[in-house]
Amino acid sequence: MNRARIIFWGLSLVFLLLVAGLFNLEVIRGRNLRGLGEKNCIRLVSQRGSRGRIVDRNGLLIAGNRISYDLILIPQEGIRQNDMIAKISRVLGKDAGLERGRLSFGTSMPVVIANNLKLREAVSLGQLKIDFPCINIQANPVRGYPEFKLACHLLGYLGEIDRWRLTKLEDYGYKTKDIVGFGGVEEKYDYYLRDEEGGVSFQVDHRGRPVRTLGFKPPVNGKDVQLTIDVRIQKIVEGALGDRKGAVIIMNPYNGEILALASSPGFNPNAFLAKDSSTVSRLFKDPAAPMINRAISGAYPAGSIFKLVVAAAALENRKITRHTSFLCQGQLKVGRQEFKCWSTHGTQDIVDALIHSCNVFFYRVGLLVGAQAIHDYALRLGLSHTTGFDLPYEKQGFIPSPLLKKISTFKNWFDGDTANLSIGQGDVLVTPLQITRMMAVFANKGYLVNPHVTKSINGKDMFRYHKKPEKVNLRPETINYINDGLRGVISDPGGTGNVLSTVGVAIAGKTGTAQAPPKSSHAWFSGFFPFKSPRFVICVFLEHGGPGYYSCLVAKRVIEEMLEQGLI
Amino acid sequence: MKNASLTILLIAVLICILSLLSIFSSTSQREGEIWQNIYQRQALWIGLGIMFFLIISNINYRRFWDWTYFLYLASLFFLLLVLLLGSVRLGAQRWLRFGWFNFQPSELAKLVMAIFLARYFSLKDESNVTLLSERFGVFRALIVPLFFIAIPMGLIIEQPDLGTGLIVLFIFIPMLYLANVKLKYLFVMLALIIFSTPFAWNFLRGYQKDRLMVFLNPNIDPLGAGYTIIQSKIAIGSGGFWGRGWLSGTQSQLRFLPEAHTDFIFASFSEEWGLLGGIVLLFLYYLLIRKGFLIAQRTRDQFGRLMAFGISLMLAIQVSINIAMNMGFAPIVGIPLPLMSYGGSSIFVTFIALGILANIDKSRAVF
Repeated sequence: MNRARIIFWGLSLVFLLLVAGLFNLEVIRGRNLRGLGEKNCIRLVSQRGSRGRIVDRNGLLIAGNRISYDLILIPQEGIRQNDMIAKISRVLGKDAGLERGRLSFGTSMPVVIANNLKLREAVSLGQLKIDFPCINIQANPVRGYPEFKLACHLLGYLGEIDRWRLTKLEDYGYKTKDIVGFGGVEEKYDYYLRDEEGGVSFQVDHRGRPVRTLGFKPPVNGKDVQLTIDVRIQKIVEGALGDRKGAVIIMNPYNGEILALASSPGFNPNAFLAKDSSTVSRLFKDPAAPMINRAISGAYPAGSIFKLVVAAAALENRKITRHTSFLCQGQLKVGRQEFKCWSTHGTQDIVDALIHSCNVFFYRVGLLVGAQAIHDYALRLGLSHTTGFDLPYEKQGFIPSPLLKKISTFKNWFDGDTANLSIGQGDVLVTPLQITRMMAVFANKGYLVNPHVTKSINGKDMFRYHKKPEKVNLRPETINYINDGLRGVISDPGGTGNVLSTVGVAIAGKTGTAQAPPKSSHAWFSGFFPFKSPRFVICVFLEHGGPGYYSCLVAKRVIEEMLEQGLI
Repeated sequence: MKNASLTILLIAVLICILSLLSIFSSTSQREGEIWQNIYQRQALWIGLGIMFFLIISNINYRRFWDWTYFLYLASLFFLLLVLLLGSVRLGAQRWLRFGWFNFQPSELAKLVMAIFLARYFSLKDESNVTLLSERFGVFRALIVPLFFIAIPMGLIIEQPDLGTGLIVLFIFIPMLYLANVKLKYLFVMLALIIFSTPFAWNFLRGYQKDRLMVFLNPNIDPLGAGYTIIQSKIAIGSGGFWGRGWLSGTQSQLRFLPEAHTDFIFASFSEEWGLLGGIVLLFLYYLLIRKGFLIAQRTRDQFGRLMAFGISLMLAIQVSINIAMNMGFAPIVGIPLPLMSYGGSSIFVTFIALGILANIDKSRAVF
């Protein structure tokens, strides 16, 4: 009797253990195991929407989408694998070892075998689907830049998201392996441009055959972005710039709309999507730095263009009048140091000095006004801080001042520094966009505009979202005197920009030659036209391009071609 | 007291209803007529099984005393027949074709061995007073019965069906204990088994070694030998507390779980009925086995007593090994879950065994 009871209690214990085991599996590990079960039988085939298009102000396409055909295998059992792989590789003409390796990995998730198939390949692979139902050809929209290099710095390029961006953007629904924009509009407006991935989820049985569809989420296309760029002007500008290193900006002086913005050398954004790694790494290693947008991310010494700041400061502070003259003898001794002018100009008033870009006049005026006032007016005219442009990676440049020098280097400010500052040398750093914006102040008679490149997103006008032009408190006379000088630069036979006088539209502007030893100087030209009622501000910058004259030549070609095409 | 046979039948039929529901569910997604009416076949087996139960429960169990040797020889004959001309399915030769019915002699052999051992250990001396088994020496207590069960066991293992073969051994050991054999012989027996295990490893077939290895760690071969156990655990775990509901278990419906209607029916049942259903099923089995033990303990006739123990043990061992294997607590062996798994032989033999049990309870009053 005793023995029977022992056996019975033993069995009861076994049953209790079984219940405990059941509890462990179903309740404690239940959620985990159910997840595994769902992974077993739920397959997801994603479908990409198309990224928003980027068009110019007239609706011409700059960045669109093309169709790429991808070969996707949804693993199923009972398929003659070797046979299938042989047939696939006959179509694609490459070794099938890779595919076999991927297939036999035993995954049950859909595998992308080949991207970017040609249409012909896609069609013939599509026919194989009859024999091998696991073959799927998926048509995916892929970003394409039909104009290749055109406006490449404005647009940016696309690539797989990096870790830094991922941590920043995770909260906005970005995931690893997402394709996001880098630089330019693609990065700045990625949130609007990006499509929402859709897809079909379906249940499969143990052999991977679809049983029923569980859900379908249609992909959502990205929103279109319209730029203020005019593709026709952009093409002219890029043609004129050619292979030279530099940047050209054309802007509407009243509302800050950028009509053309080019930086050279450039890159072909298509290369980044084609995963052409050798081309991409060459682009990044190139000493000419083709990936840098020189128009906004390059800070350079301003050269003579900075004289406008000195002139404005002096006229506003009433240190000089329209008729205050100084004698230029080719050089000026400040303290113990001798500062040169590039020529001997004789007696010069403010307009003459601007026309001839006389250094001695501005040394003297600069010393009269004082470094701090020059610094203040530079800031008023938009230098030394970002312009509020709506593309990323804008540099803010630098304008020295006695205080900043004291703080950063513990050195005193000498009159020689003031003299250097007066002609835009020394530590002055500006971006071509800042110069464009400064020139617009003289074109629109006293307003600092907010340069921008987006006109509308998804048909919604961005006008309200851009900052309104700010009034710079300059007296009308100041602007008039300076404008007279700027006009004279072109129209006066001795003006530094006289080469532009032959163009069939009245231009005003200022050249600049910024010393950049040991290499040759940077060439600047910035101006506006037509003079009476300005509609365009232009800034041409050539990195190590020689004297400002060369920039005038580029500007001349741009304006002439714009005239030819009736764009002015 | 009179209702013991009714209680047994009631519990058995309840389990059978759960079996029909599970089989219907796990085969409902399959194409082909064979799969579509498989639950009808199971219903037929259950109906026939109940008939067997009613017949057997009205045959005095003492008759089995006389039939023991005949039954023993008959099952040996069938097992030999299987080896010679059995049909091969799932890589094993376990079945004999009788027209449209595939008979699995090893199922019958389990029951016959229980009867045989019951008879052997209930021999009495000339005066018919004391049980011999309490005074057996090592030869009569261990070697003779071991010899007799080793023959069918070897034949079953040779099929190959290691699980069923070992079940015979697992019935033998507690029967030894319950037959009041001296404890030292029992320890000898256990020591013998333990020491022979390393040698037995060499006699195992490749797939059996694989199964033992994946029992220890299913993830060494997740798509091969470990696949079944992983899928079975997933199926049970997906059930959660309430289960996914009848006809909605993805593991069995979409056939990720192999043998979802036979050996792994517990997993597919648990997936759809959850912890609640699993506990109810376990409780039903527990009641059935408890009933068997109660009957055995109340029976004073040693043959009836041991036979009732043997039948209860046979049920208990099969149920616990099958469910433990479903949950990954035991290596995978081809042992069906009595009354749940699809299969005529198992259903028939189980109902016959329950019929004997019912009769032992009924006939007790006679003595």
